[in-house]
Amino acid sequence: MILRGIAASDGIGIGKVVRVQEQNLDYSAVKYGGKEAEKDRLQAAITQFNEKTTDMAEHIRTQVGEKESEILTGQIMMLSDPFMQSQMGEAIDAGQCAEAAVDQVCTMYAEMFAGVDDELMRQRATDVRDIRSRMLAILLGVTGVDVSRLPAGSVLVARDLTPSMTVGLDKEHVAAILTEVGGRTSHSAILARALELPAVLSVPNAMEQLKDGEQVIVDGGEGVALVGPDQSTLAQYQTKQEEFLRRKALLAVYRDKETVDAEGNRYALYANIGSTADAAAAAGSGAEGVGLFRTEFLFMDRVDMPTEAEQYEAYLAVSRTMAGKEVIIRTLDVGGDKAVDYLGMAPEENPFLGHRAIRYCLDNPDLYKVQLRALLRAGAEEKNIKIMLPLVTSLEEIRGAKALLETCKRELEAEGLPYHKDIPLGIMVETPAAALIADLLARECDFFSIGTNDLTQYTMAVDRGNAQVENLYTTFHPAVLRSIRNVITAAKEAGIQVGMCGEAAADPRLIPLLMTWGLDEFSVSASAVLATRAQIHHWHTAQASQVTQKAMGLSTAAEVEEYLKSAVQ
Amino acid sequence: MVTAKTKIVNPQGMHMRPAQLFVNTMAKYKSEVTIVFNGKNINAKSIMHLMAACIKQGSEIEIQCCGEQEAEALKAAVELVESGLGE
Repeated sequence: MILRGIAASDGIGIGKVVRVQEQNLDYSAVKYGGKEAEKDRLQAAITQFNEKTTDMAEHIRTQVGEKESEILTGQIMMLSDPFMQSQMGEAIDAGQCAEAAVDQVCTMYAEMFAGVDDELMRQRATDVRDIRSRMLAILLGVTGVDVSRLPAGSVLVARDLTPSMTVGLDKEHVAAILTEVGGRTSHSAILARALELPAVLSVPNAMEQLKDGEQVIVDGGEGVALVGPDQSTLAQYQTKQEEFLRRKALLAVYRDKETVDAEGNRYALYANIGSTADAAAAAGSGAEGVGLFRTEFLFMDRVDMPTEAEQYEAYLAVSRTMAGKEVIIRTLDVGGDKAVDYLGMAPEENPFLGHRAIRYCLDNPDLYKVQLRALLRAGAEEKNIKIMLPLVTSLEEIRGAKALLETCKRELEAEGLPYHKDIPLGIMVETPAAALIADLLARECDFFSIGTNDLTQYTMAVDRGNAQVENLYTTFHPAVLRSIRNVITAAKEAGIQVGMCGEAAADPRLIPLLMTWGLDEFSVSASAVLATRAQIHHWHTAQASQVTQKAMGLSTAAEVEEYLKSAVQ
Repeated sequence: MVTAKTKIVNPQGMHMRPAQLFVNTMAKYKSEVTIVFNGKNINAKSIMHLMAACIKQGSEIEIQCCGEQEAEALKAAVELVESGLGE
């Protein structure tokens, strides 16, 4: 049996299923024991909660880190709030048992936090719910699986991992994690990555489909779990696991190294991110900045536009997580495949060639200004924030965005709000039009970032999702490579910075070409940072240049790919 | 009762750590401490209330202290907010 879910934390885990059952926290049978007795029970439970949580926080501080342990010390602080405790006392006075008092008051606060317009603060709702269930478990005397003492090689299976469960984990004995809910940016996913445990989340009905003690292979990179594997599958995954660990150990030495080639020439190595939570992964991966922050996530999965304040918070949060390193924020890239219901965009025959990205934004200045204002204001505090425009095809688009930016500056000036007067403005070069007039565009913007995924698709006139033509989608095609070279050359001549934020930036076969042409910055997924750094490290200028010359002398994509495969180990 | 108007200057606003510092400091005084923000009265000795109010950087707030030690409490509260709440 194969179970599929979201690949939340890379690695291979092989072990036996240990299901963490939801505790039964039904207190309807509890009889009211009188004001004094119930209040005593409540106080005793609070004391016990604080003792347990202090132990857990200390454990996690030494095992994982200071920051992760603050989730727990924060919970103690919250439950110690005299006002919240007096509200529980009032519920008891009104004839409720201690369980009901905890349930009501915690639920009320959880709803209050869930409703605020601040992403960080909304996470406090998870904490209050966690306090609620742990307090109820203490009051009812319910004990669940103790995740801090597990048999070796346990694959934890749960509906969801609460913060307290995740931090109490006995890391040495856990092989992998499987849950029924949670995405890449959930509490559980972030902690699983921090603990370097393979994890697959959002596996439907995992609790029902798996039995305790069953053998299971979890592939956190692919997002699959193989239940009851046969000998050959097991052997295959054991090899894959060894390779993964060997590779990780090899790459670990590059974590704190500079990104330089064999002769010491420096390159910038950044990460691509899609959310504020991804920024933490990027910072932890050894990335030296963010080369592409996709802002779409702020706009998706909701019923209305994020406010200026929300966007401002999110941009600041990312910049702070990156400790003030350069963060390139791409403005809203919606349309076609990335639909946002409340924007009311009309369905199109050819969404990839339609009213999307910068085209849509410039035609909806009121909407676009909200984002530009948030960026200008965040830039006032974090000077390393840069703005990047998606899908540019003409100079008019750059000029249009600049004019709008100037309007926003005048508004902010009039309102007395601080903003970054000289915020750098660059473009994604991802259309053949932009690649061909890169020299003209370079005169009017501060930097380029080559988006190879779209550039390849548009240059090759191929839909990647169409199986019949998929094989024509290749960055090794001389047309795509010449385009990339042209863009880098134009940027160099104009003296502006040029980076690449498509998948090609992490492709070992293309790295020598990009280095030779003078790419300044490689922006790759957080998981590819160390491998990319390792690749850059081993190239000498002369070797890379030789490989480039040879590759560019070939005439078909297949020849180029084959040659590069042999030339790059 | 004594009152004073001030402005939140620290970047995080009343998030966990700054709120924790504020509540802990106010707990040392016997007087009641209320923050008036956006027309709402917030019990400033309650970290839950303080955080749920979502008071951000740049927000104008009024601090009201009432009862024993009110003057000292107000002075300490204003100084703490203006010094950036430990950030």
